[in-house]
Amino acid sequence: MTATFNPFTAAQLSRRQLLAGAAGLGAMAAMPIKVWAAGNTLNIRTYTEGDNFDPVDASGFGEEMLYGCIYRKLIQYTPGNEWGWQPDLVEVIEQTSPTEIAFTLKKGQMWSDGFGEITAEDVKFSLERIIDPKMESAIKPDLGSLSGVEVTGTHTGVIKLSSPFAPIWSIALPYLAGTIVCKKAIGEGKRITDAVPPTVAGPYRVAELRPGDRWVLERNPEFTGPKADFEKVQIILIDDEATAEIAFEAGDLDFTRIGLGSIERLRENPPENAVLSEHPSLYYVWVGMNMENPKLKDIRVRQAIQHAIDVPSILEAAYFGVADASTGIIAPGLIGHRAENLVPPQADFAKARAMLDEAGVDTLDLKLDVLNKSTWTTAAQVIQATLAEVGINLSIGVHESGSFWSLGKEADGDRWKSLELVLNRFSMTPDPYYATAWFTTEQIGKWNWERFSNEEFDKLHKAAMGETDTAKRDRMYKRMQDLMEESGAYRFITHEAAPNLYSKELKPAVRPDSLPLIQYFAKA
Amino acid sequence: MGRYILQRVALGLAILVVAISALYAFMISLPGDPTTVLLGPRATDEMRAIFSERMGLNKPLPVQIVEFWGRVLTGDLGEDVLRNRPVATPVFEALPFTLVLILTSIGWSATLGILLGAFSAAYRNSLIDRVTGVLSVAMLAAPSFVVALWSLLIFAVILNWFPAIGAGERGNLADQIHHLVLPSFAIGLAWVGYIARIVRASMLEVMGENHIRTARAFGLPPHRIIYRYALRIAVLPAVSVLGVGVGGLLSSAVFAEIVFARPGIGRLIYDSVITRNYPVVMGSMLVAISFFVLCTLVADVVNAMLDPRLRTSKQS
Repeated sequence: MTATFNPFTAAQLSRRQLLAGAAGLGAMAAMPIKVWAAGNTLNIRTYTEGDNFDPVDASGFGEEMLYGCIYRKLIQYTPGNEWGWQPDLVEVIEQTSPTEIAFTLKKGQMWSDGFGEITAEDVKFSLERIIDPKMESAIKPDLGSLSGVEVTGTHTGVIKLSSPFAPIWSIALPYLAGTIVCKKAIGEGKRITDAVPPTVAGPYRVAELRPGDRWVLERNPEFTGPKADFEKVQIILIDDEATAEIAFEAGDLDFTRIGLGSIERLRENPPENAVLSEHPSLYYVWVGMNMENPKLKDIRVRQAIQHAIDVPSILEAAYFGVADASTGIIAPGLIGHRAENLVPPQADFAKARAMLDEAGVDTLDLKLDVLNKSTWTTAAQVIQATLAEVGINLSIGVHESGSFWSLGKEADGDRWKSLELVLNRFSMTPDPYYATAWFTTEQIGKWNWERFSNEEFDKLHKAAMGETDTAKRDRMYKRMQDLMEESGAYRFITHEAAPNLYSKELKPAVRPDSLPLIQYFAKA
Repeated sequence: MGRYILQRVALGLAILVVAISALYAFMISLPGDPTTVLLGPRATDEMRAIFSERMGLNKPLPVQIVEFWGRVLTGDLGEDVLRNRPVATPVFEALPFTLVLILTSIGWSATLGILLGAFSAAYRNSLIDRVTGVLSVAMLAAPSFVVALWSLLIFAVILNWFPAIGAGERGNLADQIHHLVLPSFAIGLAWVGYIARIVRASMLEVMGENHIRTARAFGLPPHRIIYRYALRIAVLPAVSVLGVGVGGLLSSAVFAEIVFARPGIGRLIYDSVITRNYPVVMGSMLVAISFFVLCTLVADVVNAMLDPRLRTSKQS
């Protein structure tokens, strides 16, 4: 005999109770997300989390986005498609000599929470603490030859340089190191270690910090500039671009950087109520060759590799055809950008093969090291295929970021000795000196993994930093990139592209490289 | 029973020490300079040296491991040198998010899985059993990341029922539950099928045993036989699996926290490994492995309590 089992009676659950429960669950599920969401809030994605509130300890764009909202600078980047700056705290600022910049602050610009007016003493304090060796700030190099600030009045002062430093206008003052903090609130020789900054001066203040999740900012009622458009700003940490796109489409984000692979789909079929904006990027991608590796010592071999790498194929396969070929390490729109390469982007297999023959190389086994991202591995596969056309057998070494970024570093073992080819990508700030700085002789074994050493290049790098004549400076940086390419150690690939997706209800403000200047965001 | 628990605790501690020490050694031997990754290209050599010293990386590996355990014994997980704060701060900020995610996932999936398994066994070879079997295997076979992406597209983008990212507003329980639905669904779904299959098989075995036949002969109601006598025994393998499964769910939590942009210990470990922030990796791993060991211990003890044969056989 078999027992009959009724799950409803067994669980002591009546049909009415079951239906009531199901109805309750259904009602909860049908409740739209916006019921929970607050209004008048700007939700914006960041892919890198800011670490702290003190510019002395800042390291990158994560902090820059935050500081733009809560602090002020003498000058700020102008939103738009061309690089430039606009006054922020200053009424007047001018270069009075190659080593002096005089400034006058606007009157009545206030710190929050009773810390009084922003004065020239705050400017002196903020800039000098970055260059103070005791403060060990990682962004000290951004201030170049800055030697100090002379305060000449409550609102006036002179920024002093030990030698001319052209990037003072493009990197030092409008970026991280130019952030002004309150002397009275922090104190000499001290850092901001509080959970929230003791005082702010920007359009927003910190409402809540959720590490690993988001920064929540709210309108600063004591801001002395135009009232911020949003009551609340949430800077949300999302590493994954696909997740960010889904979050945007679900209405959880108002502004996000998206992956290059999505551009074509979004061009054809953008989400409702969304705008896709495409910008050039400052990043530069190249294949580097270790000039000291025995296999690559012969310049003819390196130049053969330059000619055998077909850049358009890489752009098509790895960048979905939405990025342009680069002509060097300096992006379009910046001083020193070259109109074209010495080696055309298209491969010339016959020429490459001839060069190898001339060098007495029949077949060659090489290794290309790349980061473990699909873009790089795809690009590497294309390079593998094109190099095979000229008899070069390429193996691909894939690394996670921690391992990859130590490949060419002498301080981290002997791996640099066996390094052959590397597909590399560096970020940039909007001044060409920041690009060439990594390829000097001094950088060999640090960031100069090609071990490229050229006396003319080194001299030009130093001279161009202090050159204030834009036309001359432009020629210097172009020449430096020619030297790099002539060495055969570099095959320039692309500056990538930087697409953003944002709500039609938003009027975003971005730098020419698409990075957001949240403090200037407004409602459409 | 007390002796049995003590044995399990001692074993758990041994596992913890070996696992953490091995992980520490493994991590330090990975290529990659933490000072480069953490400080970025603009840092000077002097800054890197100071940073390395503060992280204790200039000392021999055995010394680092001994010092690590010395600190742990005094309740200090170390210092997050990059952010100038105790490691315990980010770890214990992130931990509750992961615990809630894991416990919710295991809670709903175990409840549903046990019910489905029991239901299926009670209706053995019927249409319901076959449908339940297909569903269970389908759930088991669906990779969590696929479930996560599809559930995001369907429930967050198209239907707009649930949020796609985040963990909800602090202090707003309804919002937090709302944010928990999709991630816990994504990582719990496979467990429903797995537990259902285990419980079904176990139930079928138990239902054929003498004491169940005796209960039937005495005329006890079927639901009482199933829930009071059969399921209590049949659920034992599932309890063991759940204890170990928490470890698996910790791994799933890493991807869920990334895909759903949720804070949590998985994401903290992932980010810290990528940036070679060793003190945070070790602090997080210590807590995560301790949690895993604790869950296994609880599963063993619960098993022993439910089935006295286990503790007596193990003790003998």
